[in-house]
Amino acid sequence: MAVSKKEIDSVSPRIEKLIEGLLSVVPEVESERAVLITKSFKETESMPIIIRRAKALEKILSEMTVVIRDEELVVGNLTANPRGTQIFPEFSNKWLLAEFETLAKRKGDVFLISEQTKQELREAFQYWDGRTVNELAEQYMFPETREAIGAGVFTVGNYFFNGVGHISVDYAKVMSIGYNGIIAEAEAEKAKSDTSDPDYIKKNQFLTAVIITAKAAITYAIRFASKARELAKSCQDSRRRDELLNIAENCEWVPANPARSFYEALQSFWFVQAIIQLESNGHSISPMRFDQYMYPYYQQDITGGKITREKAQELLDCLWVKFNDVNKVRDEGSTKAFGGYPMFQNLIVGGQTADGVDATNEMSFMCLEATEHTKLPQPSLSIRVWNKTPDSLLLKAGEVSRLGLGMPAYYSDEVIIPALAGRGVTLRDARDYGIIGCVEPQKGGKTEGWHDAAFFNTAKVMEITINNGTVNGKQIGPQTGEFTSFKSFEEFMNAYSKQMEYFVSLLINADNSVDLSHGERAPLPFLSSMVEDCIGKGKSLQEGGAHYNFTGPQGVGVANVGDSLAAIKKLVFDDKAVSAKELKSALDSNFAGKEDLRQMLLNRAPKFGNDNDEVDNLAREGALIYCREVEKYTNPRRGQFQPGLYPVSANVPMGAGTGATPDGRQQGVALADGVSPVSGRDMAGPTAAVNSVSKLDHHIASNGTLFNQKFHPSAMEGESGLWNLAALVRSYFDQKGLHVQFNVVSREKLLDAQKNPDKYRNLVVRVAGYSAHFTSLDKSIQDDIIARTEHIF
Amino acid sequence: MPTDELDLQAKGIVFDIQRFSVHDGPGIRTLVFLKGCPLRCPWCSNPESQRREQEIMFIARNCIGCKKCLNVCPSGAIDFDLPSRIRPEKCTLCGKCIEVCYAGALNTAGQEKTVETVLNELKKDNVYYRRSGGGITLSGGEPLAQADFAGQLLAGCKANGWHTTIETTGFTTEKVLKRVLPLVDLVLLDIKHMDDQKHKKYVGKSNKTVHRNARVIAGSGVQMIVRVPVIPGFNDDLINIRSTANFAHSLGTVNELHLLPYHRLGQGKYDYLGRQYPLEGITPPSRGNMERLKLLVESCGLRCSIGGG
Repeated sequence: MAVSKKEIDSVSPRIEKLIEGLLSVVPEVESERAVLITKSFKETESMPIIIRRAKALEKILSEMTVVIRDEELVVGNLTANPRGTQIFPEFSNKWLLAEFETLAKRKGDVFLISEQTKQELREAFQYWDGRTVNELAEQYMFPETREAIGAGVFTVGNYFFNGVGHISVDYAKVMSIGYNGIIAEAEAEKAKSDTSDPDYIKKNQFLTAVIITAKAAITYAIRFASKARELAKSCQDSRRRDELLNIAENCEWVPANPARSFYEALQSFWFVQAIIQLESNGHSISPMRFDQYMYPYYQQDITGGKITREKAQELLDCLWVKFNDVNKVRDEGSTKAFGGYPMFQNLIVGGQTADGVDATNEMSFMCLEATEHTKLPQPSLSIRVWNKTPDSLLLKAGEVSRLGLGMPAYYSDEVIIPALAGRGVTLRDARDYGIIGCVEPQKGGKTEGWHDAAFFNTAKVMEITINNGTVNGKQIGPQTGEFTSFKSFEEFMNAYSKQMEYFVSLLINADNSVDLSHGERAPLPFLSSMVEDCIGKGKSLQEGGAHYNFTGPQGVGVANVGDSLAAIKKLVFDDKAVSAKELKSALDSNFAGKEDLRQMLLNRAPKFGNDNDEVDNLAREGALIYCREVEKYTNPRRGQFQPGLYPVSANVPMGAGTGATPDGRQQGVALADGVSPVSGRDMAGPTAAVNSVSKLDHHIASNGTLFNQKFHPSAMEGESGLWNLAALVRSYFDQKGLHVQFNVVSREKLLDAQKNPDKYRNLVVRVAGYSAHFTSLDKSIQDDIIARTEHIF
Repeated sequence: MPTDELDLQAKGIVFDIQRFSVHDGPGIRTLVFLKGCPLRCPWCSNPESQRREQEIMFIARNCIGCKKCLNVCPSGAIDFDLPSRIRPEKCTLCGKCIEVCYAGALNTAGQEKTVETVLNELKKDNVYYRRSGGGITLSGGEPLAQADFAGQLLAGCKANGWHTTIETTGFTTEKVLKRVLPLVDLVLLDIKHMDDQKHKKYVGKSNKTVHRNARVIAGSGVQMIVRVPVIPGFNDDLINIRSTANFAHSLGTVNELHLLPYHRLGQGKYDYLGRQYPLEGITPPSRGNMERLKLLVESCGLRCSIGGG
């Protein structure tokens, strides 16, 4: 740890000050964008939607307050105050109106909101009544679809109420040709268009919209240049004055023109990142392979003697802080699925190039160090691993993991590249993948992946199957037979498959309704201008302009379904230890007076996460039943549906809406997260859990799988701890796992484990030569260990 | 023992197989704990390892009070008034109570397993051994107390190409060592005290066997690390630690010593077995004291770590 400690100590006072400025304020709702877009839309009633969107962005970028925060070197704000949030009434707003009074009082993700802001928003919202994406989407949905959503089978909430986001644009292109280059490209495309083409009119409108927004982006930057010069004039401190003048020069040149230095490239990058998030509030705007497209600028400056590594690192650290200045207000229900102000700006290092050569460079290490320095949640840092990843990079990543931030997340090239190739992505593009948001792989700058299309509760479908298609006595799915009538386990599985078939078809209806509505009401010309083939096709992303199109809904509850299937198979059908009738009645009553039966379900049937083929194969099959249904379908952008198996934190609210399940889980208890075993039921250590998880088919879940591992810091101590962590990652990937992240368990967690031992039954602690399950220890010994943990970090 | 004589059906009593062990030999390892030990160290953190035969452990916390055990016991050995629940004099170890105890309050310590069964379990982490430079560690109890089984198991590990470690008290015979050592890559040898009087008093046996066997192991050329459980008031004085380090150094093949600080992690298990914890009242050594001892060991020319590797 000595090395990283030295580096942490070397964080510049500037960075400390920037972080302090960020964290000392409570995030606030701001009305400026909502007011401006509403004004613009009132002025453009007669125009085509794509032009209206472009003009709205133009107005926002020309009129919103520009702020240069104290000591910052990379500029571009989304809100006047740090970590504030703008409002996007065009997607949905009624929920916000209803929650004005509780935003500052709720338990998580608190936002302040002033009376003036409320008043301005109320006025703006009036215009949008009946005009939002949300209201249109609702009209497109079948009544049955709305009923299934109401019953908690799935939610399409994210895109139903918000922008889509979940994209990575061609940042390198903006850096290399500037928005002037993009304007020229759009002009050229216009010039060569055949006016007799039936699509000409639409195409021409789109290209006009692209030109409007590109010019608006340049205007926005120029406003920062003016602001910097104005501040420089009154600045007493000559050091800061020079910095402000340097900022002014940068903003006068980029993003209009090609970046000439590392610093300009960073500034250009940030304008792209910021403006995308002013055009739409879709989160998970992911920088992806930052080490790849930034390295040439860094290398050129270093060889030319224009910058030192230390200075470059400080600029990088500044940018890292900036990533945390972006925020988003969500409705209270959603904060349970997306808790902790997450923005999911995923930035990934390492892996291989499009040519299949190892891509690790100095910038890969510098990105890891920036996270080590800033210790902030954004960007969501990830690392690609393949057989040729150098140990040095993996060990560096391990050092960052050991800080307990849960980052970086590790991804396997050996699974993701073939998985994407299996979805029609070319080999070169697949090798050049990055990660969107949580865990979703795609080729950046070419894909509209709609990666966070839905959360689908597979455990709920299991519950509905046991209840012959009913929820609380109401028939919402097909009748597939009473639970007591099944003669064999296979009959039950068939019933489960039929219910799945039905509810997935409703899920598709929901997603496609929302998809179509975004295309009709909120096409995004600025975002589209930086994704291939939009300019060439003359089509926005929302209408199918991207080269690759997907929709990715997530299955939640993999381990609960696997464990439940195993319990039914073994205890009801194989051993006949409990009758279907008795089990059904125990589930109906949430095991009231049936604790012994619940213990039997918990401890006499195998559980996913212990490297037991019997149950692992059922978990695999349960997940496949969902995945195979999903991949049958096509979206309105003519792209394929591709399943994912990750929950963000939706496993918690989805569990709250699911009755008792045959795995012994009580009503309302959270479902397992991602593809991880149910909390506390993986009792055979991390390698057994890893082996179980790797038995799932991660290739078919090409929208991403998520595997969380918890560790006590002592398991990663010292040099050998880093090597063991690296070996664990490589071993999981040898076995075709897709993603893993490590939660190095902190003192706080251990204290929580004392209070809630059931949640932490699998937590292994290591104190000098001997391991034990933490919760199996006496409190006084637990206290010893908690006290000692602090020595370790 | 040549591998062509490998007897996959040889049986032994195993009380635990612990995967992802990272402190008992290099890399990621699986630990196989063999039941039975000639010593009775009062600080023992695995009391269920001491007796060779199977035992029942009662974990009171898990009991939901369903009384199924009471109804199935054919010999009337279940007593709800006893904190340890089982009357050992009546219990025939038939295991019927354990079968119906869904909540996991009643558990067996020790199961008879064949070499083949154990190897199948060990194979599951093959990829981790390969990636981390890890392997298998036999621990106990005293693994060499089941010499035939241990030998067969080690031969099986070698047939799979795994790195093997034994963690031993040194209480065995030269004959056993000579049979087993060719199948071992690393020996972790426990040395508890250099003073034979104290050794006899606390552990119940003279340390002469340990010292003699240490030289046998050194003579075989197999890599060896000496481990000292640091028990406050018993062996944590500077004189003993120095003389242990000097002895280890004198063996010629040892260049590393591990100081394992006393801990009470096994205390709960004494309750499960209905036994008294013999070391009540002793607190783990302070970090400062451990660091001091570490410096002392290093001054004797050995590498030293606190805790296993």
